[in-house]
Amino acid sequence: MTARQTLAQAEELSRRSIIALFRQPQSWIPGFFFPILLALVYTSQFSGATNLPGFELTDSFLNFLLPASLLQGISFGATIGASDLAVDIEQGFFDRLLVSPANRLVILLGRMAGTMTWATIQCCSLTLIFIALGVRIHGGSLAFFTILLVGVLLSLFLGSFAMGLALATGSEEVVQSLFPLIFAFLFLSSAFFPTEAMTGWYRQLAELNPITYIIDPLRRMVLSDFNWGDAGQAISVVLLLATLGIAFSLYRLRKKLAKT
Amino acid sequence: MILTIAHNVIFPISVIVKRGWIRMVRRYANMFPLVVMPLFFLIAFAGSFSGLGRLEGFGTDNVIDWMLPWAALQGCAFAGIGTGAFTAEDLEGGFYDRLFLAPITRPVLLAGLLAFAGARSLIPLTLVSIVAKFLGASYPTGVAGVGMLYIAGVSIAFIMALLSLALVYHFKVQRILALGQIVIFVALFLSIGQAPIRFMQGWLPYVARVNPFTNIIRFARQGLIGDITWADTWPGLLAISGLVLSFGFFALRNLFRYNR
Repeated sequence: MTARQTLAQAEELSRRSIIALFRQPQSWIPGFFFPILLALVYTSQFSGATNLPGFELTDSFLNFLLPASLLQGISFGATIGASDLAVDIEQGFFDRLLVSPANRLVILLGRMAGTMTWATIQCCSLTLIFIALGVRIHGGSLAFFTILLVGVLLSLFLGSFAMGLALATGSEEVVQSLFPLIFAFLFLSSAFFPTEAMTGWYRQLAELNPITYIIDPLRRMVLSDFNWGDAGQAISVVLLLATLGIAFSLYRLRKKLAKT
Repeated sequence: MILTIAHNVIFPISVIVKRGWIRMVRRYANMFPLVVMPLFFLIAFAGSFSGLGRLEGFGTDNVIDWMLPWAALQGCAFAGIGTGAFTAEDLEGGFYDRLFLAPITRPVLLAGLLAFAGARSLIPLTLVSIVAKFLGASYPTGVAGVGMLYIAGVSIAFIMALLSLALVYHFKVQRILALGQIVIFVALFLSIGQAPIRFMQGWLPYVARVNPFTNIIRFARQGLIGDITWADTWPGLLAISGLVLSFGFFALRNLFRYNR
């Protein structure tokens, strides 16, 4: 099989993934609605808190929340492809794909490409909405593209991890139960409030959370100037997570293929 | 007379509660929203926003006291929605058609489901109260404050059960309960759940003031952050009565229209 054929297959499967997503608005609307609602509510509720430690760079809570809101929205959408993969397994379509002359790796890569495409669409749309609401990205276009890259890589991490779970269990329910965990991981970080303003063991937990290492540099780029050091930190942490996610999903694919 | 009431009302209600309870315990995954979610809300919100207690005029310097009713009431709302989910399963599986042939009136059937929702709500209320004590909740008014929290919690479970049942009896599919979840999520976020009205800016204080859930949360919270007063009690009782009567009317009407 030539590289061109493999690419064509990946493109088709990715297109199928995106079309399936567009046809299920109940799956992707929450990824737009909730980050915006939370950002607006928190901005109204906690604007008075910007004189606490950790808010030195801004007095706008909406600006402060931008990276967290974007990553929250992307996290909502990242597991949809994996849910669809689980449905494919449940309904037998995955087995039909295996007996077709398609490259088996492409079955997974197509879904991952679909997830990343969706993350790009979501990140750009949400940024435009937030800019319309008054947010300003002080780091300029370089900061925006860094956030976009980090968002896409985060969706790759979450998507591939969820696909690994789908391959391991073949259950849509299990994949969907990942969502509260993702939500918990976001809240147990500096996503919605700076760690400097937290107290006790919770602060220590939030400081250890890898999401904090991603959010904090992105936030500095939104609130202040672009900095290559911050960009490098955020990208390298999320790249490491994405590598682990891909390795997990490929391992589960190999196990699944060995079984079938 | 008493024997007739016991036979026609109390006995069927107790059987419905017992059936629901056994079903819930045997499918322990259904207990996730009752057990894990409220605890997560308590820890995540009290931890993330622990710095708010340092701000003057927040209402308390112990954020656990502030977030306790918010987390517990979320769990109670899930308890109510879960009752709707069980009923939807019964409708989809045909059990309800058999139930209508049994010698039980429809209002008693509804009362049984409400009693089950109330019983379910005791799980998050008790669990959150105990864990909050370990995390440092002060309970300044002792049993009286906890009692107010329990009254509000059971009432929220009734309200959400009635809303869910009204939707389920009308649409006859479990998927419609996503609408109930969105309603409660938005209603609780647009209230004084996380911050007092005097802290809010812009459009939110106007919405929070007319949101009936604000009065219910204030009712539940008063004994946990200060004294219990009639001024904070009667608006809560009024909101509870209004919502129970409104949603109760729709639930009963849709139940009477079901299969007729």
